[in-house]
Amino acid sequence: MSVETMKVLICDDSILARKKTKTALTQLGVTQIFEAADGEQAIAAYKEHQPDITLMDIVMPKIDGVSALKAILAENPKAKVVMASSVGTQENLKEAIKAGAFDFLQKPISEDQIKVLINKAAK
Amino acid sequence: MFTQFFGNYLLNKQLVDTKQLADALAVQKQTRPRLGVLAINAGYMTAEQVDMVHAEQQRVDKRIGDIACDMGFLTHEQVEELLSSQGAAHLQLGQALVNSGAMTNTEFAEALNSYKNENSLTDVDFSDGSGAKIDELIKKFYNFADDSRSAYLTEYIALLFKNIIRFIGDDFTPLASTKVTEAASELAAVQKITGDFTCSTVISAPEKAYLGFASRYAGEELTELDEMAHASCGEFLNLHNGLFTVNVSNEMNTELKLQPQDYLENSGISGEIYVIPLVFPFGTVSFMAVL
Repeated sequence: MSVETMKVLICDDSILARKKTKTALTQLGVTQIFEAADGEQAIAAYKEHQPDITLMDIVMPKIDGVSALKAILAENPKAKVVMASSVGTQENLKEAIKAGAFDFLQKPISEDQIKVLINKAAK
Repeated sequence: MFTQFFGNYLLNKQLVDTKQLADALAVQKQTRPRLGVLAINAGYMTAEQVDMVHAEQQRVDKRIGDIACDMGFLTHEQVEELLSSQGAAHLQLGQALVNSGAMTNTEFAEALNSYKNENSLTDVDFSDGSGAKIDELIKKFYNFADDSRSAYLTEYIALLFKNIIRFIGDDFTPLASTKVTEAASELAAVQKITGDFTCSTVISAPEKAYLGFASRYAGEELTELDEMAHASCGEFLNLHNGLFTVNVSNEMNTELKLQPQDYLENSGISGEIYVIPLVFPFGTVSFMAVL
């Protein structure tokens, strides 16, 4: 899969966090970027766009990120969902990995981390 | 981190006023401490000797370090050592205050020595923002000692200062905290922490300061009070609280949870509230822990 054809879904209730991630992805050449502002929107957007990779915040209104991750994996067990959160406790990390997260990024996320992730997902 | 508390000390002792301090903080990064300030700080020269060297420099065309060596106040090795410490933030602040005329070399030297003595601090402590010394200072400064949640509050504030320096800037001065049951807030980002330490955390400020803080975190000028401005303050709070829960989980073996952020406009906040005001060049931002 090439970066140009890759579909990425950003799920974060912060418009600023979404904007920063979107800017970094655009600079890497990703053109198909979708956004969701809570867990409910994340599940709906996943079903609609079937992204190649989903970046998922944990603390979000309506449905939290881990519950949204589980719902997405129930829809597609091969979905690549990366948890991106400031709450990188061992417990959250274990819960996310146990639930089937592809990776876990501790916020603040750097452009380099996004680059590594996109290259890993593109393989 | 001690530099910010030293700024508060200067205010409390009425050695500078808020404007003089804010002006100095705004230019401190571009200010290189001169040899005189460095030599006084290191205890190699007295303020009077520095004045003598400066007076001599009016007469002879020589570098200040060479004159100090000629007059027998310093060795060349000491000059080299002092010049290598020019990046120390508290000395940059001191030089900025001396340059603006807010303080003399003598006043700055006396204030710095008194502050170091009262808090048992060394130069190494000043440049090291971590460790037990800063926790001790925060406990003393904010008077959490009587609170059963003192360990959480101290961890929270110590990390808050580190995160503000990292993501917002080091040009702030903490003011003494107050403990109240009601607080009015023009604009606020709020996030609740739940678990063994249940607490609502708040960033509260009038519009200009709120936008100033939001602009710093977003890395772009935000002039309108819109979703982006709130999101920026909320994202800083979430980031800080998230890192706090990681530290608490690792160091205290306690799992805390975070709720999604909320935003308030012209609201009253009630509860057992610790208000922690920080003065930035763009205004005063109050952090609150509502227990």
